Amino acid sequence: MPPPSEKFPPSLPSDAFWRSLETRASSPALRALLADEFPAGASVWPADMSRRRFLELMSASLALAGLAGCGRRPREEILPYVTPPPETDIQAAPAFYASTVETEGFGRGILVRSDLGRPTKIEGNPDHPESLGATDVLAQAAVLSLYDPDRSRAPRRRHQPATWPGFEAEWLGRHDRLLAQQGAGFALLTEPTTSPTLLAQIHRLLDRFPRARWYQHTALARHDLDGVQLDFDFASADVVFSIGADFLYQHPAALRYTRAFAQRRRVRRESDNASRLNRFYAVEATPTVTGTMADLRLPLAPAALPRVLDALARALDGDASAANSLAVPERDFVQLLAADLRRAAPRVACIAGPCEPLAIQRWAAALNARLGADGVTVRRLPALRSDSDPRCAGDLRTLAASIDHGDTTALVLAGVNPAYTAPRALDFPARLSHLDWSLHVGAGFDETAALCTWHLPESHFLEAWSDLRAFDGTASIVQPLIEPLYATRSAPEILRLLADPPGASAYDLVRETWQNATGADDFDARWSRWLIKGVIDAPANSAAPPTSGTTALRLPILAETAPPANAPAILFRPGPHVLDGRWANHPWLQELPQPLTELVWDNAALVSPAFARAHHLRTGDHLQLSAGGAALVVPVWILPGQADDCITLPLGYGRTRAGNVGRGHGFDAYALRSADGAWLRTDVALAPASGRTALVSTQEHFTLAGRDIVRVLPASALGSAHREPDPQTSLYPHEWPRDRHAWGMSIDLSTCTGCKACVIACQAENNIPVVGKDQVARGREMHWIRVDRYYSGDPANPRALHQPVPCMHCENAPCELVCPVGATVHSSEGLNEMVYNRCVGTRYCSNNCPYKVRRFNFFDRREPAGSPVYLQKNPTVTIRERGVMEKCTYCVQRINAGRIAADRENRPLRDGEVRTACQQVCPAEAIVFGDLADPASRVLRLHREPTSYALLAELNTRPRTRYLARVLNPPEPRA
Amino acid sequence: MSTPSPVEPPRRDTALFRPRATTLFRVALLAVPLLLAATGYTVFAYFHSPYWNGVGVAPSQPVLFSHRHHAGELGIDCRYCHTTVERSAFAGMPTTQTCLTCHSQLFTDTPMLRPVVASAQTGQPLHWQRVTHLPDHVYFDHSIHLAKGVGCTTCHGPVGELALTAKQEPLTMRWCIDCHRDPGPRLRPAAEIFAARAVPPRNTPAQADVLLRAYDVHRSHLTNCTTCHH
Repeated sequence: MPPPSEKFPPSLPSDAFWRSLETRASSPALRALLADEFPAGASVWPADMSRRRFLELMSASLALAGLAGCGRRPREEILPYVTPPPETDIQAAPAFYASTVETEGFGRGILVRSDLGRPTKIEGNPDHPESLGATDVLAQAAVLSLYDPDRSRAPRRRHQPATWPGFEAEWLGRHDRLLAQQGAGFALLTEPTTSPTLLAQIHRLLDRFPRARWYQHTALARHDLDGVQLDFDFASADVVFSIGADFLYQHPAALRYTRAFAQRRRVRRESDNASRLNRFYAVEATPTVTGTMADLRLPLAPAALPRVLDALARALDGDASAANSLAVPERDFVQLLAADLRRAAPRVACIAGPCEPLAIQRWAAALNARLGADGVTVRRLPALRSDSDPRCAGDLRTLAASIDHGDTTALVLAGVNPAYTAPRALDFPARLSHLDWSLHVGAGFDETAALCTWHLPESHFLEAWSDLRAFDGTASIVQPLIEPLYATRSAPEILRLLADPPGASAYDLVRETWQNATGADDFDARWSRWLIKGVIDAPANSAAPPTSGTTALRLPILAETAPPANAPAILFRPGPHVLDGRWANHPWLQELPQPLTELVWDNAALVSPAFARAHHLRTGDHLQLSAGGAALVVPVWILPGQADDCITLPLGYGRTRAGNVGRGHGFDAYALRSADGAWLRTDVALAPASGRTALVSTQEHFTLAGRDIVRVLPASALGSAHREPDPQTSLYPHEWPRDRHAWGMSIDLSTCTGCKACVIACQAENNIPVVGKDQVARGREMHWIRVDRYYSGDPANPRALHQPVPCMHCENAPCELVCPVGATVHSSEGLNEMVYNRCVGTRYCSNNCPYKVRRFNFFDRREPAGSPVYLQKNPTVTIRERGVMEKCTYCVQRINAGRIAADRENRPLRDGEVRTACQQVCPAEAIVFGDLADPASRVLRLHREPTSYALLAELNTRPRTRYLARVLNPPEPRA
Repeated sequence: MSTPSPVEPPRRDTALFRPRATTLFRVALLAVPLLLAATGYTVFAYFHSPYWNGVGVAPSQPVLFSHRHHAGELGIDCRYCHTTVERSAFAGMPTTQTCLTCHSQLFTDTPMLRPVVASAQTGQPLHWQRVTHLPDHVYFDHSIHLAKGVGCTTCHGPVGELALTAKQEPLTMRWCIDCHRDPGPRLRPAAEIFAARAVPPRNTPAQADVLLRAYDVHRSHLTNCTTCHH
């Protein structure tokens, strides 16, 4: 083992990195947790399993096992088509169809895999500029929601099952009466959207009923500012300054931004790294995924932000003493940032988060103008989403007032759930029940549906035609892959039915929209081109991009807009993975550890370590928050890097009618939101509350405590770069045996943002089950790839690093040596294979794995027979049973498919032809998989980079997965 | 000189074991393990037998379809009906329309064809019983086997001779592995792959080498577990 001083990238003392405050404090409970392979109680029966019940089950299963062994294989039938399908190869290979997935009303191009007609996996569409081949967590999860057993399957009238013809008959009578009154008293509530077809139907409905009113409601943020959408080119920005913006994670353009940002963070031997690296400053009240990428990060409460920005403005004007009144970290931040902005202008970008106050967002736009960045790194796009559509009558508050005045007596709610997402201060459910007649259109029978006269089930986007626009304006078709599974219709179809009974099919509506927009000549040819490519290459409306605003030379003074600093502020944020609550009934998303907290199945009030100390709070303790007459008891989570004097409440939890998965997790933060839906509330009173919540976080699971795992180096140290030599401890004189292929993977920690899209892509590809909160608490989660989050430095403002850890596919795999039944063996191409049928469940392999990447099926995780969830399963991956070990396979089914395709054509496999699920999804292209036996492969080049290192190389495991160290570009501190 | 005779031990009238017992014990010592081994072997052999594996069993099909007539006597190519066999894992089963290519004209009113006509009229597919059945954790791909010179009859038997289609090989893992370990002797030239009556070849090592090179067969990964199980 080489002495630590020879290590490159430099190895830091093992206590430099910590995963949680408990590690840092080295609590005895944690040390006990780490001492064993699985936490205490991991192998203990669940609480409802008594000795008697155990014996019952054992004898029954023995008897059944004996019987099962006696049967012959079941007979199978083959049912061929009667007439050949139009796509004759539908049974030959999985087919991919281009479609579009929605994110906050905007579209992103996707390719959906269809196995024998079932949509099973979503990939990014490389031809779509807002996807570039990548997808985010929610797009990966969207395919499972198609098969959600809790989806609404038929219309209901006052909770009772009803039929579509029944609804149509009732609506016909109402329609004629409404027509006579020109729609007086009738209103429509939707989410803001970019879909031209949906908007056309809304407008048609308003044309039909001139006195009807259209309102829009979303609990999420707007992405326009004074009628424009600001779009950034992070590939050409040398200095990036973020004010509370999570633009690499929660933004309609996050995938494109991440790709561009990663270009400026990647360090390669052959490139000019000094000029390539950007510098990223972030100031934020609550830690975000984006903020973890910052070279310099400053946590700042909302009350302090205006003061710091004003000082920055003065410093940019050349006032050397501008920052003198600030505290030390703030002063340094302002001085370094001002110097960098002045140096790099106009190649700078300042982006303010959509949850920041409007004054701050306008200030950021003015800063870009002031530094000349407009047109260089900042582009002004027309506002694409219908937030400020001139025909819209207002938001939920206007609608509430209209109901109170008796102006609205009949209401259609399409795709919204205001009974849950409206601030409680508005008391929307009570108003909903005042209506004479109401109609809810939605995928599930949710909180709002329960209060409405009618509920109509809405089709999933993989079942119905529609269209959407991406953040950059690119329009694309939402192409269905399957007939509706249940008696559902899409929102445009239903709105058309309301306007013009008997309506029209969604396919005709979408074609009508685009035929009107682009002309009828040659339309069919263009239409099929759009469907194949997944992008509409024609503008639907030719709104000219707005001209740049006035180039303000002076930045607005923000000090007057500062919220009061006397009380702790409450920040509301969209819940990680569940957003405003719409994804609450999704098991993959509930079990995916949330960014930074690594919490699962719950939300918590995020507070800073200093705040917790001042209020004598431990993680999980309850705290009562009250504001405006409403009170809420919340468990707290102490989050390093949170600004003092503010509490972050994630929305989207505490749902009462989300379905069997989503019901009753966490608390409902809408209870405290003010009626205007603001993201900040300052009139809050705190009170201690009794009790604790057992919050479950995976931050300490599978820890490689105290070992040399993450490596970080500043860009200035790159000059002396030399790759750490591999330990070659072998009695054999020759090279490691190599077959035709030698699979390997490289993971770049410099570009990984920790978005965890790889985790959920792996789950979708490899049929990985969810286990539930109780089982996660016992360390039994099943994800094959995990993203470890490490902190270093001061808990008040630590640096966070993300490290995805799949199976390392060691050439000298410790797991293989200890398996008594040969269930884990090495393939000739270097894969560490897991043979489920041989595994008897000793778990020795997991015990001997230094990377903790093996997962054991403690229980049978298969869904009950007949569950629609089975339709999502990847048919090329075995569904594992109880009692067997499993782990990352490097997506061997994809390797086999690639090899067979190449061998069939008698050609070598091309580099990049086989991509693992985690690699394909990664927006930062941080994961590269390939063949180390191919001298020209990308992965081999990356393995030879000076910053490449292997985890625990000193164990001589010879891992095939290697990492590229995280390279930081911090500003030089002033002398 | 007389020596006192030693005192004889008192004879027992009944021995604990008779001499036969020793023989019996020796036989048992040999027979019990043999019996156990035989039982074990019988069970093993039974579960690996063609009987248990359904070799030679022709499930009753909705249509009395004869491969001997179509593929053997008429010489219709396998790929006429099994259309995706060269492109995909699944060989493909003929659509009802494929049958009607000829049978819209020939034997249209015979009772044997009634299910086919009914299927075309009602749009309901024919329910064929699967003959060649691999367990669900085996990922078999037809296309690559054909591309590498494994003929149809190597696994499916002389289909062109079968009036009723029945499984011809046990399709156990050992049977698969035998070929994966040493594919050379079973490969055949490209022209003979779809020969419906061909007897599976037994190539000499020299012939095998020529074919292995011609098809560019890499043997090393063929016995990896993940080649068939993932």
